[in-house]
Amino acid sequence: MVGLEHYLSVAAALFVIGIFGIFLNRKNVIVILMSIELILLAVNINLVAFSSFSGDLVGQVFTMFVLTVAAAEAAIGLAILVVFFRTRGTIDVEDVNVMKG
Amino acid sequence: MLQSDLATVLPELILAIYAMGALMFGVSSGKDQTTGTLTWATAGMFVALALWIGFGNAGDRSAFGGMFTDDNFARFAKITILLSAAAVLLISQDYMARRDLARFEYPVLVSLSVIGMMMMVSAGDLMALYMGLELQSLALYVVAALRRDSARSTEAGLKYFVLGALSSGLLLYGASLTYGYAGTTLFSGILSTVNEEVPLGLLFGLVFMLAGLAFKVSAAPFHMWTPDVYEGSPTPVTAFFATAPKVAAMALIARLAYDAFGGIPDDWSQVLSALAVLSMFWGALAAIGQRDIKRLMAYSSIAHMGFALVGLAAGTAEGVQAMLIYMAIYVAMNVGTFAFILSMERDGKPVTDIASLNMYSRTDPMKALAMLVLLFSLAGVPPMLGFFGKFYVFRAAVDADMAWLALAGAVASVIGAYYYLRVVFYMYFGTEGDRLDSRMAPAQWLALVAVAAAMLLGIINLFGIESAAALAAESLVR
Amino acid sequence: MATIILFAPLLGAIICGFFWTLIGEKAGQIIATGLIFLAALLSWIIFLGDIPETGHVTILRWIESGSLSIDWGIRLDRLTAIMLVVINTVSALVHLYSFGYMAHDENWGESEPYRARFFAYLSFFTFTMLALVTSDNLVQMFFGWEGVGVASYLLIGFYYRKPTANAAAIKAFVVNRVGDFGFALGIFGLFFLTDSVRFDDVFAAAPALATTEISFLWMNLNAANLIGVLLFIGAMGKSAQLFLHTWLPDAMEGPTPVSALIHAATMVTAGVFLVCRMSPVYEYAPDAKTMIVVVGASTAFFAATVGLVQNDIKRVIAYSTCSQLGYMFVAAGCGVYSVAMFHLFTHAFFKAMLFLGAGSVIHAMHHEQDLRNYGGLRKKIPLTFYAMLIGTLAITGVGIPLTHIGFAGFLSKDAVIETAFVGSQYAFWLLVVAALMTSFYSWRLMFMTFWGTPRGDHHTHEHAHESPMTMLVPLGALALGAVFSGMIWYNVFFGYEDKMRAWFGMEAAAHHEVATEDHAATETAAPAETATATDTHGAAEASAAATPEAAAPHGAVPSGGIYLAADNTMIHAAHDVPNWVKVSPFVAMILGLALAWLFYIRRPDLPGKLAAQQRPLYLFLLNKWYFDEIYAFLIVGPAQWLGRLFWKRGDGDVIDGSINGVAMGIIPFFTRLAGRAQSGYLFHYAFAMVLGIAALITMMTLFGGAQ
Repeated sequence: MVGLEHYLSVAAALFVIGIFGIFLNRKNVIVILMSIELILLAVNINLVAFSSFSGDLVGQVFTMFVLTVAAAEAAIGLAILVVFFRTRGTIDVEDVNVMKG
Repeated sequence: MLQSDLATVLPELILAIYAMGALMFGVSSGKDQTTGTLTWATAGMFVALALWIGFGNAGDRSAFGGMFTDDNFARFAKITILLSAAAVLLISQDYMARRDLARFEYPVLVSLSVIGMMMMVSAGDLMALYMGLELQSLALYVVAALRRDSARSTEAGLKYFVLGALSSGLLLYGASLTYGYAGTTLFSGILSTVNEEVPLGLLFGLVFMLAGLAFKVSAAPFHMWTPDVYEGSPTPVTAFFATAPKVAAMALIARLAYDAFGGIPDDWSQVLSALAVLSMFWGALAAIGQRDIKRLMAYSSIAHMGFALVGLAAGTAEGVQAMLIYMAIYVAMNVGTFAFILSMERDGKPVTDIASLNMYSRTDPMKALAMLVLLFSLAGVPPMLGFFGKFYVFRAAVDADMAWLALAGAVASVIGAYYYLRVVFYMYFGTEGDRLDSRMAPAQWLALVAVAAAMLLGIINLFGIESAAALAAESLVR
Repeated sequence: MATIILFAPLLGAIICGFFWTLIGEKAGQIIATGLIFLAALLSWIIFLGDIPETGHVTILRWIESGSLSIDWGIRLDRLTAIMLVVINTVSALVHLYSFGYMAHDENWGESEPYRARFFAYLSFFTFTMLALVTSDNLVQMFFGWEGVGVASYLLIGFYYRKPTANAAAIKAFVVNRVGDFGFALGIFGLFFLTDSVRFDDVFAAAPALATTEISFLWMNLNAANLIGVLLFIGAMGKSAQLFLHTWLPDAMEGPTPVSALIHAATMVTAGVFLVCRMSPVYEYAPDAKTMIVVVGASTAFFAATVGLVQNDIKRVIAYSTCSQLGYMFVAAGCGVYSVAMFHLFTHAFFKAMLFLGAGSVIHAMHHEQDLRNYGGLRKKIPLTFYAMLIGTLAITGVGIPLTHIGFAGFLSKDAVIETAFVGSQYAFWLLVVAALMTSFYSWRLMFMTFWGTPRGDHHTHEHAHESPMTMLVPLGALALGAVFSGMIWYNVFFGYEDKMRAWFGMEAAAHHEVATEDHAATETAAPAETATATDTHGAAEASAAATPEAAAPHGAVPSGGIYLAADNTMIHAAHDVPNWVKVSPFVAMILGLALAWLFYIRRPDLPGKLAAQQRPLYLFLLNKWYFDEIYAFLIVGPAQWLGRLFWKRGDGDVIDGSINGVAMGIIPFFTRLAGRAQSGYLFHYAFAMVLGIAALITMMTLFGGAQ
């Protein structure tokens, strides 16, 4: 029987993978965008699981909102990445380092 | 039912329609030529809405089944947000026009982000919270990268976006946990099912959400984006970042803490005090080494957010009042300071180097004096208003038996005074060098001098914000 | 009216001090002086009128904290009225005098403005002194007390380019702090015991204080005595009594009008005023009163001995002041407060006059102050000479023995000595001997200045000139006071107890007698011919009939300016002293005069011989009993050592060291650390956030929730 804890474990694992993806990855900004999507998906799994196990629809409504916002977020992220690439000619994470101190 | 709901959200609704209309207008008409008009119109819109909200005596009400709350607290925060956003738009107009940044998107994006902020401070539900926050953030990511041909500006946008998305993820994860353990997303219902022991999942949810919001107010250790983004963004955008969004996020923290988790103040209070102490010290210490005035202001705002959090951490109505007063004063000081920073240029080119202020008092004694007042106020030197802001939050902390927090704040403000006074030192006792131009747009001059004067005159009665903030705090802390 | 009196000088000080640049220096001076004259006129109206009972005027609420409630108020009774007249009259005359005296000053350049500042200080002093005497409670009094201290400091150090003046100003301030500490402790004590600092409440509680014991460390002290002693320590500082007197002679560094106003007539008498004001408490504090008598008599004797050998004209008068203040304290300590006030009243006239006369001499001699360089000035500056002569006659106490006819000092000093005979034999004999010495040094001063042959710089003597009218008119007006003030007010201060009681607004004693008596009042603004001070007939005399009212109703608060306990029969007893006692001060005066005449007119070689013969004694007196040296050794030295220790080791090494260490070592370390953390790499920033959330989660797990 697949219980709530299984869903939560999967979601937690995805969440952690997403976060690690952001700070362990040193190559490509695209990977960071994917990691962010992973985090949001983990949240969605959480919400849907809670919603289904408590019989409350609000969680699924929340999920729809998150999905929508995630799409907008991805669009804006990619747009920013494009202008970044135009000025710098690279999307390596290690090159995003003009300002520091 | 729906009618009264819509009536409650009417200001936001009008602003949203206005933003759409402005977008259409900008796109369809001559694009960037309309920017000046749009900026003024948007600022006027903000001021009109602020006046409407301020004088419309609506009382406490909520809409959409409690998802949207309109009370004194929300109104106080909204007025602060609207007025500061309007002020920032006006002082940046000249800079934008002269620096080839006059894009019509800017006022539109600012309007959208202001709608998001207004949603945030009125949020009565996790979903409303999230939507408001995201609307605000997405608009801000874009304006950070407004100068598309600049490596710094785009890098600022990218950094802000990535870290902002991460913080949204943290917040959302917290929201999902909270929903799961509380069974509802309504603030009013979150603790209603809790009997004796608060489930750990709920506490984790709280911590994740606070961490996500701490990013928005740039509280240490979630502040790392701030200096880079402040430095890289175009200065008007930096000025905007430093003012309205900070108020909105701080108000949202207060709302989350009191409306949703009001029953367990000890738990969030310790998180907030940890954030406050870290921010105050980190902001003060890291600012010392700065050479760029925008980075300096970034660390300054980190430290200031720490002080405001001291008020919230007190966990009393007095503390909320102190926080609101502090934020109002902070925003005013930042508007004045950024008005000056926007005007800093040499041979027509903008400069942000602190050393370029050498002997500025000779170039323009009046502005140097106004700046001196502002910097003293930022440092918290009596009798400027900045001192009273600190005084209120420390008193709230002491009254809540958190004297150690006030003490830490006092020590941090002593350290922090150093870098503000260093700027004063450059202005008055520095070495002779290339002088800055003394040109300044009228709106900037007005903002600078008016705020400096307010910092001095405000000690008489704080322009009444004390009682307004008390009312606001009362409506939040019940 | 009292409010106008109080605030007119303040207004003058503000206008003159801050706005003289707008209206001009001269106009500032005139406004300040005019306002003081107004205050003086109103004071005389109050003084000559009837004061049936204590008046209260509340001006504003000042401090409200817990049970501590302090109003800014005016208490108007006979005691206040006396002080108002003394302060405002002398102050007005000194303002006028300063027009002449300060017209040219070698300490300042031609274009440097200093006059307006001087007048502003004078007016400010007057205001604070008035605040002191009109106060309704101890805290306001303390405000005035410190205010006069500040004004005194500013005026002693008026010549701020002279190191000696600055040193003297600081010395006056520091020595006064010792006394103020006692005063402050007294106020705290009273508040602790009576829960109020208002005079009415304190006085009402005085009988209870007498039976209260306070445990302090291992001692059990009577509350009334303790409070009395503490307040008297404050009075000792302000009134330059023995052990705390060392500042007064040095204070002569200030301009001479200041010496006349502050260090002779008004501020130094604040201590006497304090004791009289607190008479309801002192009446229940016998031990404190004994202490006052002993200290007062000792001071009178000590200061007189030192005065014998001083050579600086102002220092002689300063020690004389110190000595006369001792007389006042003896009277107050014996419980005859009215006599203390009487001597205060007459002393203000003749001592201010002596100082202003000395100022006139100094002015004539181009700021030469050494008696040894004077001589034969009688012909050069006749008017000043006559004025000084009257002052000397008054202070030495010339009059017709066993009658009530004589100069002011004759009546008041004799009253003090008669009182002392009843109160304390110790004080009596010291005071009589002091009277002899007073006579000697006063005449010595006169003889050395005005008789004999000119000594010192020939050129200076050639150019000695009479002072301008602005300086002579005040001398004349004060001369009137010095001659008549004793005779006119003798009865109400001392002569008849019933009249005294009625005049002060107290309850009548055992028997009651309604008497109508003519008061003759000298007008302050005397006509010009009074400049010829000896022409006493020229004085305008106005009669004012004052009908003493029946005694005020009995109540918990003793009514009247001063209070005498039921068993206090001192006045009565003092009237009945043997005749030899009454004559003794006169005899002492004659002896002193004869000795001075012998030493300085008949045999001018004698003083030198005597000094050579009695060298140790002479040096002992010349060095003022070595008080300054002893203090330097016992207190100043160790204090400086301690201060240096704290400064170099404590402040320099420990505090500066740690602050600098933190500021220059630790903080830059953290700053570098923070800078390095801000690496610019996205993944570092994200990692910091993750670390943050992990730390917060851990914290919540450990301390959150039910734990």
